[in-house]
Amino acid sequence: MVPEYKSKSYTHIVWILLVLVVVVIAGVYVRAKVLPKSFGEFGHYRGDAIFDEMNRPIRNGTNSSCLVCHPYIREMHLNGVHHTVSCEFCHGPVADHVKDGKVIAKLPKKQGKEIKRLCLRCHNQIIRARPKESIKMISMPQHLEEKHVRTDHICNQCHNVHAPLMWVKEARAMVGVEEDSK
Amino acid sequence: MMKGIEQEISRDRRAFIKKVLGGTIAGSLLLVIPAGAMELDRIPEQIPGMRKEKGPFITGRKFAFIVDITRCIGCGSCCVADKNEYKVPDGNYRTWVERYVIDDHDNVYVDSPNGGLDGYQEPRRDLPHPVRDTFFVPKLCNMCEHPSCVQVCPVGATFQTEDGFVLIDYKRCVGCGYCVQACPYSVRFINPETKTADKCTWCYHRVRKGLLPACVNVCPVQARKFGDLNDHESEVYKILHQPHVISVLKPDMGNKPSLHYVGLRREVV
Repeated sequence: MVPEYKSKSYTHIVWILLVLVVVVIAGVYVRAKVLPKSFGEFGHYRGDAIFDEMNRPIRNGTNSSCLVCHPYIREMHLNGVHHTVSCEFCHGPVADHVKDGKVIAKLPKKQGKEIKRLCLRCHNQIIRARPKESIKMISMPQHLEEKHVRTDHICNQCHNVHAPLMWVKEARAMVGVEEDSK
Repeated sequence: MMKGIEQEISRDRRAFIKKVLGGTIAGSLLLVIPAGAMELDRIPEQIPGMRKEKGPFITGRKFAFIVDITRCIGCGSCCVADKNEYKVPDGNYRTWVERYVIDDHDNVYVDSPNGGLDGYQEPRRDLPHPVRDTFFVPKLCNMCEHPSCVQVCPVGATFQTEDGFVLIDYKRCVGCGYCVQACPYSVRFINPETKTADKCTWCYHRVRKGLLPACVNVCPVQARKFGDLNDHESEVYKILHQPHVISVLKPDMGNKPSLHYVGLRREVV
């Protein structure tokens, strides 16, 4: 006599399968609704995000994008020792100045103490972390004392900020001194 | 012909002069205002051939970034350019410059006032011992080959493109901050304005348009270099194949950064 442990009715299995199928269908539907269109196009991310990032507006140009409209500055800047210095570092991004080929605003011009601060970002000898041979370093009140000028002078009173040695060289040529400034 | 012009002049002298004057002024204005300045095609392409690439991925190139610590003068040009390019909110930095100071007791002090954005105007005066050595280390996204930030993102908002850039989908990011914690180099932050994760992208949008990253462009001493490793004539290829002391940050993390440092010091790694 074999005990009757096996039910003849399969309705409970049918129910479980039915619920599973409904859950899977609902899951697939919700996933399709919730996921953005291009998701998974190239990987586990939204494919269009690449184009979003690609089309971010460019705000900084290059030096040539500035100098194309400023020929006088171009002449000075490219022939001076500051030819590697970026225009936009001191003046601000070109996107704030020109839009669609039109000048929309003037970029602020640095004045007085601001200029000195900008110069000393690179040329301050007291910051010892800089490699010594790469650019010329000065320590601030001493440099003015050595040159016998008042200590409240601003750098651009002797140095053209675009070509720092231009006026110095011109002055030397005028008086005929061939002093080697260290 | 001459007769015709003379007749024209005598017919309406005033209108003739107006026309000539107008033409002259318009012509000279054209010289002064070049049409379409700051339009992309007027800026010369710095990475040749990039503007032809229209597909989702850059083909046939493997970009690398090199920072030369022996050249960096800590001026902060890169930080200024970066803030301008992305309008990064105050107090957050996509790239920054650290100052390392080592004293004669081999203690290492690191500081980065305002991320180097204002430059370094003052030396460190708070140190008890004489300084033995000091240098600057610029930091930015390492563009890892095995990025841990991508692994942990629960919504697929940060991803690696096939050309090796690790980017963020700002529309999809929920700002959970997992990636900020996962990054071994601490280059990620939650942008307080967009409330999403944010980080350096090596100026992906500029690169795709044939321009160098903003920080590379402005560096006055060429301490930052960007180029294609598949191009054997490029500067980055030559540097990475020379007998230099070249290294990456935290190599033991296994992230395989594409950002390399020349002259990297034991204290920094």
